[in-house]
Amino acid sequence: MIYLDNAATSFPKPPEVAAAVSAALAAPASPGRSGHAASLSASKTVHRARKAVAALLGVQDNSRVIFVANVTWALNLALRGLGLKAGDHVLSGPLEHNAVARPLSRLVKEVGVEWEVAPLVAGRVEPAEFARRLRPETKLAVLNHASNVTGALAPIRDVKAALGDVPLLIDAAQTAGAAPLDDAGSWADIVCFTGHKALMGPTGVGGLWVRPGLELAPLAVGGTGSRSDSFEPPEFLPDALEPGTANTHGLAGLAAGIEFVLGVGVQAIAEHERTLVNLFREKTAPLVGLRILDPSARRTGVLSLNLPGWSASELAVELEAEAGVLTRAGLHCAPLAHQSLGTFPGGAVRFSFGWFTSRSDALTAAEAVLAVSRRGRRNPTAGRGLVKSLGAKPFDADKEVLAARAAAAEAKAARAAEAEAEAVRAAEAEAEAARAAEAEAAGAAGDL
Amino acid sequence: MDVPEIILVFDTNTRILNAEELLEDRGLPFELVPVPKEVNPNCGLAISFKQPAQAMIMPALAAANLLPSAAYRRQGGVFSDWPLT
Repeated sequence: MIYLDNAATSFPKPPEVAAAVSAALAAPASPGRSGHAASLSASKTVHRARKAVAALLGVQDNSRVIFVANVTWALNLALRGLGLKAGDHVLSGPLEHNAVARPLSRLVKEVGVEWEVAPLVAGRVEPAEFARRLRPETKLAVLNHASNVTGALAPIRDVKAALGDVPLLIDAAQTAGAAPLDDAGSWADIVCFTGHKALMGPTGVGGLWVRPGLELAPLAVGGTGSRSDSFEPPEFLPDALEPGTANTHGLAGLAAGIEFVLGVGVQAIAEHERTLVNLFREKTAPLVGLRILDPSARRTGVLSLNLPGWSASELAVELEAEAGVLTRAGLHCAPLAHQSLGTFPGGAVRFSFGWFTSRSDALTAAEAVLAVSRRGRRNPTAGRGLVKSLGAKPFDADKEVLAARAAAAEAKAARAAEAEAEAVRAAEAEAEAARAAEAEAAGAAGDL
Repeated sequence: MDVPEIILVFDTNTRILNAEELLEDRGLPFELVPVPKEVNPNCGLAISFKQPAQAMIMPALAAANLLPSAAYRRQGGVFSDWPLT
């Protein structure tokens, strides 16, 4: 398997992440709910993740880092929590994910908010398009830091400057861990992130940072372990926006993931991924008619393309079947982006490289694209010649799962046999000891 | 002699853990204790120290914007409100 779907979720995870989750699972997890040592330990686990996010964003007050289930929840919390009213005007970028587009669409329908898209200019996000759309009613702008379709990095600092006092909400789903996010307060008012992509954590953890002075109303309320004498939720952060027991196990993994990322260095990760994208582009450059969606230099490790004569899904299936290259085809939950790019509704094939992707992986993927293009659609009776020619290992999920299950069953049987042998040894030792004691007692009686 | 003890109660667990780290980094004498039920119904932790340490601890917390939401003094098992400064 050559895993090139890191924009969906990163794989593999650093071993430290699995170890941290496992360790957290081996202990009680009730952060902030009791005064005993186990609760304190769980609280420190959550706190470690909070500090790690604050370090990633270069912000001082870690109590303004809020944890929720994923970036979609974080974006919903931000968009709903700002209390937008009928007639309020919201600007968005042209490449937004449905995690932004759908909540905005609901705000339009249910609240009467006006949503306007700042269009692409020559294929790029243009700060002037935000500036020229500002009105007295403009209450918010939302922008994808990097498109999950093209990988292009938006000029967030310039957009922030163009907006003046209008708050800027940044969707950093694709950049947290893959592009520097230092000094967040200078380029954003709210930053939403997910834990399971470039931050290397498990699924089920994400969150947001909210700048001082900007208040959000909670989407849900409940127990927080604080102000427990009141039916009203606390107003202070992070408790106000974190009802219910935190995902301590997931946050343990997130903390380990971010610490790994910070240890390697976000810049080093960004450069590695850009190098792989460039390698892939160089290798596929001779392909006539290949369209790469926004080949801009300022980018993450995401690259999407279309090949003449192939639908995105056909190409993706072919790459997996023949070379074990896992990509993502279609609209990438971003119809607005594909509309802006002129690739709606067919979409594109997305290759997303990660820190653990090797140069060899990138080259093999590029060679697979070239080979598939040369050969045309696969003859179902042709077997797996391409795999052989590329030296790639076909990924047979069923076979691998069955092998893993067989290995697990074998290990379980071995453990059971060992336990049984140990029980026999113990019983024999016990019997031997009893016999010895009996003989000693008999000897003692004889002495008398 | 019963040296009076100061108990600091914080709004949120996050602030108390930040305060704990700060005081540990400075090497100041304190303990994390369950919030005494006599002063607060919450189920979390509080910072406790002997009153003479107040002159070092409170300025450190104030400088880091980590003052507690309430402070109490305990002497002879009796609690009384205590100023935050």
